Amino acid sequence: MTDDTTGTHGAVLQDTAPGGEHPLVELRGAGKSYGNVRALHGVDLSVRPGRVTCVLGDNGAGKSTLIKIISGLHQHTEGEFLVDGAPVRFSTPREALDQGIATVYQDLAVVPLMPVWRNFFLGSEMTKGPWPVRRLDIERMKRTADEELRNMGIVLDDLEQPIGTLSGGQRQCVAIARAVYFGARVLILDEPTAALGVKQSGVVLKYIAMARDRGLGVIFITHNPHHAYMVGDHFSVLRLGTLELSAARSDVSLEELTNHMAGGTELAALKHELAQVRGVDVQELPEESDLQAPATASPEGKT
Amino acid sequence: MDRSSHHRPRRIVPLVAVAAAAALALAGCSSGSGGKKAEEGGGDGASAGKANTPQMTVALVTHQAPGDTFWDIVRKGAEAAAAKDNVKLVYSADPNAGNQANLVQNAIDQKVDGIAVTLAKPDALKSVLGKAEKAGIPVVGLNSGLSDWKDLGLLEFFGQDESVAGEAFGKKLNEVGAKNTVCVIHEQGNVGLTQRCDGLKKTFEGTTQILNVNGVDMPSVKSTITAKLKQDSAIDYVATLGAPFAPTAVQSVGDAGSKAKVATFDLNKDLTKAIQAGDIEFAVDQQPYLQGYLAVDGLWLYKNNGNYSGGGEQPVLTGPAFVDKSNVDAVSEYAAKGTR
Amino acid sequence: MSMTRQAEPAVTPPPAPGPKANDGRTTRRTPVRRLLARPEVGVFLGVVVVLVFFLIAAPPMRDSSSMANILYQSSTIGIMALPVALLMIGGEVDLSAGVAVVTSALTASMLAYQLSMNVWVGVIAALAVSLAVGMFNGWFLMKTGLPSFLVTLGTFLILQGINLAVTKTITGNVATDDISDMDGFAQAKALFASSFELGGVQVKITIVWWIVFAALAAWVLLRTKYGNWIFAVGGNKESARAVGVPVNFTKISLYMLVGFGAWFVGMHQLFSFNTVQSGEGVGQELIYIAAAVIGGCLMTGGYGSAIGPVFGAFMFGMVQQGIVYAGWNPDWFKAFLGVMLLGAVLINLWVQRTATRR
Repeated sequence: MTDDTTGTHGAVLQDTAPGGEHPLVELRGAGKSYGNVRALHGVDLSVRPGRVTCVLGDNGAGKSTLIKIISGLHQHTEGEFLVDGAPVRFSTPREALDQGIATVYQDLAVVPLMPVWRNFFLGSEMTKGPWPVRRLDIERMKRTADEELRNMGIVLDDLEQPIGTLSGGQRQCVAIARAVYFGARVLILDEPTAALGVKQSGVVLKYIAMARDRGLGVIFITHNPHHAYMVGDHFSVLRLGTLELSAARSDVSLEELTNHMAGGTELAALKHELAQVRGVDVQELPEESDLQAPATASPEGKT
Repeated sequence: MDRSSHHRPRRIVPLVAVAAAAALALAGCSSGSGGKKAEEGGGDGASAGKANTPQMTVALVTHQAPGDTFWDIVRKGAEAAAAKDNVKLVYSADPNAGNQANLVQNAIDQKVDGIAVTLAKPDALKSVLGKAEKAGIPVVGLNSGLSDWKDLGLLEFFGQDESVAGEAFGKKLNEVGAKNTVCVIHEQGNVGLTQRCDGLKKTFEGTTQILNVNGVDMPSVKSTITAKLKQDSAIDYVATLGAPFAPTAVQSVGDAGSKAKVATFDLNKDLTKAIQAGDIEFAVDQQPYLQGYLAVDGLWLYKNNGNYSGGGEQPVLTGPAFVDKSNVDAVSEYAAKGTR
Repeated sequence: MSMTRQAEPAVTPPPAPGPKANDGRTTRRTPVRRLLARPEVGVFLGVVVVLVFFLIAAPPMRDSSSMANILYQSSTIGIMALPVALLMIGGEVDLSAGVAVVTSALTASMLAYQLSMNVWVGVIAALAVSLAVGMFNGWFLMKTGLPSFLVTLGTFLILQGINLAVTKTITGNVATDDISDMDGFAQAKALFASSFELGGVQVKITIVWWIVFAALAAWVLLRTKYGNWIFAVGGNKESARAVGVPVNFTKISLYMLVGFGAWFVGMHQLFSFNTVQSGEGVGQELIYIAAAVIGGCLMTGGYGSAIGPVFGAFMFGMVQQGIVYAGWNPDWFKAFLGVMLLGAVLINLWVQRTATRR
């Protein structure tokens, strides 16, 4: 289903990418404060080509702040942010895009009332003709969008329909196809499976794997450890703005990941309390001694 | 594809072109005709010597809507009288009757020596005028409220009865032989304008039709009058109720290919030119300058000499005064200064 | 009939709550529904109905010169309704549009008259002022993030006050002086306010400009990058920003386009009537907005067309003059207009729901 001709169209960046000496994107002790509120603190993260880095965490753990920094919507206030080994500070998403960092947001991916093909090329439209009469190359855009979507297994017989009429999974896939097409080297996916059912989630996970196989670095943000474990190579769990866990796939089992994700030590403490209540099965919950976090969380940070 | 916008700097090109064009235009062109240079300077309305009576404060509170030429002339008259009589004039206005009442209350609170007020909606001002009476502040009326000023306990009144003006207009139309006229109301629901049309209808022996137009949009006024002339080709006179609308009606007559003539209520300097040129037949003037002037002067006379203009019984009528080809030359000089 | 044919059997939508046709996939949009999804269809049908109605009810309207008259008034609304509509598609409103027209005309008139310059100097200066007002609106909006309703209400009041105060300070009156005898007036009138004969009917040049601007706006909106951005910033500002659309540039330039329209209509009024009343224009902004909404633009942004507002303005002019041509009591005009506006909004709502229904 994949073929190698795709993904290279807009990729002026392919040849500028260094040979894997540096991670594509790296955070070193990065953090972000909004006034007095510290939303993120001391986070290390690295994204390498052909690898899926999963960022897990509960609501308010700092996941969205993290992606906003990497995608150029916000700037970090502490630590370092490196792309290809060089420190950067993006002031607009356009700058991040120009570095090959594309973000697919859960809610923000598309403009619902606009046709599929316009959404696909939004912000990077194909044009033809000299300046005063430079115009959209609609034919070519429609054709290209159709090809790319077919490559992703989505066949629409009307690219003019508003993208709002597509299902949630289809919209995510259009957004992923679009990022891949535009030569993204790093793909940030913000909770792509959150609003989806089981089967549609499977499709989205398949595209994540496809993107990885094409050599993209993927940052997969989710709160579902099962989805993460299916495609992830490295797992970072955020809690209260700091890293609770950072482990390679070989160092962590799904069960451990689930436990960390589910609240880790807090849940273990809860186990004793719940044990007093009849009808709550606490057998499977972990004991505190079972949990060893490779990256220890510092107790400071936001409260 | 084509992801970056390399062409952005080219947007500067048209900007530069515009700037260059502007520079050229400025360098080359001052107008050889018209403009301020062609206008002779004139005095500031009628001015007499200055009285040596002690200074008094008079509040003039009108229902002027912003941007109405008419009220400008009223104010100029009031200012001229104030300068002559050693009066400090405080002018305020609001078209909303409730707000106007608040402005009067404001004047009472400031303990002014006299209040001149327009009575566009007499009922709304009733209670606040009672307070003025209680506070011993003399109040005179002007412009509108001809039938109510005495009931409200005002000293005197200076103005034109809109109905009387309308009636006079109708009689004048009879004289010039009109058969079918359309009365153009530029502010739907305005009492004074409606009275003018009603008065006209009362005395005019031919057919009278009413036409509402959107007074804040001149092209729309033009189109609507054109449409009316088209709809009824028997119309031989267009009566506009405000000075700025008469020249527009003249354009409409041309557009519609109609033979109708144009006459109007109120006057300004462009109108005097149009009357001289024969584009507009006549204008009926209520002499707003006189209303403002007499209101202030009347309060001054009452304060310093105990006089009642109109004897406290009858209103002092400032109109209708007709301006047509026979007397326009005498009037135009003052109209150019914005005092007539 | 399913609209999507997935290659993988595994790909089916999630079990949807509530009743759903077939397996929950989108149904194919029939040609009728696709046609209805076009923003100008509702108003086009409305225009046809109202036109036929008035042609029957008002015999004088069958005359071609009557149509020229209706088109003239429609054009002065329509030229402003175009940029107002584009701005609305871009997700904003401009309440200062009505008085901005008068501001522009006053600027040109007073500058030329007071300095006794060629009127073109005033015309160019007025363009600069109008664009600056638009730029201020857009810049202030983007800087503060306040609703455009509030920002432009402020500008509306400011301009209204400035129009009056400056005019009175400079001319001593509330209207400007007659500039018709000044140099350059004739050329400017030829450009902004002349008329020509076509098939025995005097046609106003504003109608030609209206059509030219509408064609240009339609082309820009549907065929250029900038047009794409207009839809995007109105449809979902944050998404647009995230994919690299220059949101601030797009919105500010849209306000400047409204400034351009205000300039053009202002120049028409100046060279058509020789003088300008400083109190005019108040309330016109709502008529422009109404023409855009009747023309199928969505007040919340992201949806609309350039052709729709043309019909919207025409509808407006036709109803206003149609009542006169029919010889009806004109007191009812506003009520009729209100009913029409509500009707147009209902049609738009229905069309939007039909078009985006899954």
